[in-house]
Amino acid sequence: MAKEIYDSEIGRGWTTYVPAGLAIVGAFLMLGLRLQLGERFISDGALMMLALASYLFAALFQLTNLYAPSEMARRIGLWSAVAGVFFNLSSWLVRWDAAYEHEIAIMRESGNMATPWIFRYVPFANLYDLSLAFAFGAGIATLLFARRRNFQVLGAFTLPLAAIILTLARFIGNEFIDLPPVLDSYWRPIHVGVASLSYGVALVCFAIAVIYLLKDRVKVEAMAIWSSIFAIGVIGSISKFSVLTELVYRAGLFVPNPDGGKAFSAPFRLDTPYVGVALAFCALLLAGVIVSFLVYLYRENQGAKTLGHLLLKVALIAQILTVGLLVAEIRETNNVPERLRAQIAANPSQLVTAGRAMAERQQLSAREFAAITPAQHEQMGRQYLQANGDKLYLSVGTNPVEIAGLITALAGTFFVVLFAFRTDKLRERLPSLESLDSLMYKTACLAFAGLAMLLITGAIWANESWGRPWGFDSKETGALVAWLTYAAFLHTRISRGWTGRSSAYFAVLGFLLVIFTYLGVSYLLPGLHSYA
Amino acid sequence: MTNNGRYVMIFILRMSAAEQTIGGREVAKTRIKPIGDRILDFLSSVRFGVSLLCTLVVLSMIGMLIIQQNVQGFDAYYASLTPAEKLVYGSLGFFDIYYAWYFKFLLLILSLNIILASIDRFPSAWSYISKPKLTATSSWLEQQAQTATFAADSSDHDALAEKISRAFKANGLSTQTSKFDELSYGTDESGLKDFANVSTESRTIIFGESGRINRIGAYIVHVCLLTLFLGHFVALQTGFDADVRMIPGDATDQIQMIQFDLDKKEKFNVELPFSMTCTDIQQRLIDPRGSIDVTNTLDWRTQVIVDDPEYGQTTADISMNKPFSYRGYRFFQAQTIPVGNARTIDLNLIPQDGGAHVSVTIPRTGESTLGDGTKVEYEEFLPDFTFNADGKPDTRSGEYNNPVAILGVTPPGGERVRVFAFGGNMPDNAPVSAPKAGYKWKLANYEKSPFAHVLSIKYDPFNGAFIAWYFGGFGLIGALCFVFFFSHRRVWALIENGRIVMGGNANRNHLGFEDKFNKVVRDVGEVV
Repeated sequence: MAKEIYDSEIGRGWTTYVPAGLAIVGAFLMLGLRLQLGERFISDGALMMLALASYLFAALFQLTNLYAPSEMARRIGLWSAVAGVFFNLSSWLVRWDAAYEHEIAIMRESGNMATPWIFRYVPFANLYDLSLAFAFGAGIATLLFARRRNFQVLGAFTLPLAAIILTLARFIGNEFIDLPPVLDSYWRPIHVGVASLSYGVALVCFAIAVIYLLKDRVKVEAMAIWSSIFAIGVIGSISKFSVLTELVYRAGLFVPNPDGGKAFSAPFRLDTPYVGVALAFCALLLAGVIVSFLVYLYRENQGAKTLGHLLLKVALIAQILTVGLLVAEIRETNNVPERLRAQIAANPSQLVTAGRAMAERQQLSAREFAAITPAQHEQMGRQYLQANGDKLYLSVGTNPVEIAGLITALAGTFFVVLFAFRTDKLRERLPSLESLDSLMYKTACLAFAGLAMLLITGAIWANESWGRPWGFDSKETGALVAWLTYAAFLHTRISRGWTGRSSAYFAVLGFLLVIFTYLGVSYLLPGLHSYA
Repeated sequence: MTNNGRYVMIFILRMSAAEQTIGGREVAKTRIKPIGDRILDFLSSVRFGVSLLCTLVVLSMIGMLIIQQNVQGFDAYYASLTPAEKLVYGSLGFFDIYYAWYFKFLLLILSLNIILASIDRFPSAWSYISKPKLTATSSWLEQQAQTATFAADSSDHDALAEKISRAFKANGLSTQTSKFDELSYGTDESGLKDFANVSTESRTIIFGESGRINRIGAYIVHVCLLTLFLGHFVALQTGFDADVRMIPGDATDQIQMIQFDLDKKEKFNVELPFSMTCTDIQQRLIDPRGSIDVTNTLDWRTQVIVDDPEYGQTTADISMNKPFSYRGYRFFQAQTIPVGNARTIDLNLIPQDGGAHVSVTIPRTGESTLGDGTKVEYEEFLPDFTFNADGKPDTRSGEYNNPVAILGVTPPGGERVRVFAFGGNMPDNAPVSAPKAGYKWKLANYEKSPFAHVLSIKYDPFNGAFIAWYFGGFGLIGALCFVFFFSHRRVWALIENGRIVMGGNANRNHLGFEDKFNKVVRDVGEVV
């Protein structure tokens, strides 16, 4: 009998579960310590930052192992991923206890001696909590699939994405929200827990699809075109489309919450000097990348290829500098009221825009809304400015999705630049196409089943709370669309025999829809899930 | 021929029914089918199903991007559209796309596709269970996804088969052993088969499998999905949504059904077959000193008494996430009328003729009798007292800025008088807060609650939603787990001249099966 038959790529027995098991058990020990030590213990925010660092560290070593195989790099990559999952889950668990203590303190101070049940405080209340859990879902799924040695490379692709999700969480801010009573249900941990785990599996499925495309000799130049289109889309749509139309980036503003909770978003945005121009320059470079690589792909023009790669590298540097400039501008600007007043003096139409935004928040009837004149909108904006103008301030937290979008675009460019380096060697070291396709199908099945659980548990919860199991709320519909996409993906394997590259494209589409459901619906569309 | 009754002698090597079916279809393709059959084939095709799914995705995306008429914020959105946008979106049904005729039609066709596709494919799937493929040739086994060949002493087929069977069972496979004679042909000088030179060779094959029921998992998923669709459809067609305002002390047998027509919301009164009396509403606050805003709320609770001419009286408590079901009607907490009120008031009474202060607590709409026989009725609560244009007591806002409890006081043997018990902001010499009925009346404390609760009502006479989501939904979850977390694994071991040829396949989780197959091969290798 041939020896290779015995050489299974998976480790044997329960020991393969040790890394994931250690991360989980360790996190619960941390919860025990938090319960013992109280607020003196490390905060959930600090643990989240440790998780972020660990994920990046793990990805770095997994990438190193990919380009320059080394057992030490592989081990460091694996155990850093374990540390990331450990810190990530610890952060979530510690937050649970902290949320309980936070509200109990408020109640006791007011003389309210009631003790709500502990599940009221499960950290699934807003997008920050969901992001923590989503990143954990991606991390733990990566660890479980990394039981096979040849799939440990997955971490190089999934963990940077988990890190981006945690970065988004960092920008959103970890203030506790006042939990709406409808969320005080045992269905919430079930429903949102399933959501975060299935989102995590969908992320892993997406990463496998990207690896498959890379292995299947999809040209890096084609990938660069798609990543550049994505980046231009992000740049073009942020700041209410002002970057490419006016060469200006306007950052959102906060006004403090007098009750000390999460600050309110102001209806005004402030021009941040140079950032708009820098972003437009990045978009121009990326457009150059697209044109150059299109010329190369359709005319086999080697000169265009060389130019495209050069532009891609310059675009990467430009994106890094621009994101740095944006964050620096937001952090260092302290004379916000004066600058805002000067900006409005130069362009008074912003008062009308702000007044209109305020009117939209008031849930007026169509007739009432239509009856408000532009002059009244301007008046509303002016009144708001008079009342709150001096309190307005800039924060990276005002535009978490925009900044996370820019960082994601930057990461996309970075990975394409990376893939362009020793591409053939990289492809050789990736798992076989058959095993990648099989794992992609397996993860798509899991994501499909998970999204089905998400939809059903959400519907049953809605039926218990509102008597309306299904109302085509935008988040419900978003999850349904993602689920239908995975359903179509699985059925195309039956009807058309679509495997491999076609399946990979479907997996990418499915994950983009999951991301749209996770972020886009919460920030862009009205509905019952606007808190998360 | 058999030594333990389990062996079956098969002279003709045949394919399993499943593989035969697939082969048969290939042949049938060449004939032109009648138009009816072709339409059925089209409707039952998975390809058509995938097209329907993609169309549903597109329509759902449209519904997400264009705000729907029953979503908060629609009014402002609708007002912001140009006349042309209103005309185009409206005529295409985009403002209520999920209830448009074409969306319903699409769901109907999808259901039909699921039913027809299931009927079409079920026999093939069932044949894996009813007629398992017990035999295989070495060449077929070598073409399987997993295959292994190794030398073995095959002098005693039965003993070898027994050992292999034990190894299979140790790996969780149920086994069947078959014997058959395989025809083989010699070759002529040009290397072609010489059909005149026939010989028969004896073969023994051990077939092992696990999870064969998984083959019909997809059909269980489809049944659950159809249950979900049907239940939801029945609920939509036979039921309606309504709401009712609950003010303590009020009784009603009318609820308001809501219908949306773009930016107009119309309400129709619907008569209940029973009446409801609200006896209490409560708002449990996080900080009792704070507002009755939703952000400071732990829960809302409404207590009602149902008077039913058929079934008598029932008392119900309705809280957030704890609805009340009665005769096909389900009552849920939906919203409040957030004008400050008091569920109970604590009064501090200072007798005008001296003596000890009297404390009394009265629930909303309740009354109390003092020690001296004075009857005190709690009539009304105003959170921000003022006089309106008519000079009558009113509230300036819904906030608790200047709370007052309005009482009906009847002294023993005296006439009923109206008394205002203020919470503190009214000067002592103000006429409205002057002592009456022998006491100076002070509002010492009160438990905050809103003016009214609004319950939403879902009428679902056939429990369609319950059947849809609890049977269909939970069934779907279970079926999907069954389909995707398990698989049908098949392994064959063919004993022929001096060697064992093994092959195997699984309907999903090929990576997991690869590990399993390798372990089976390893175990077989060890025992032979």
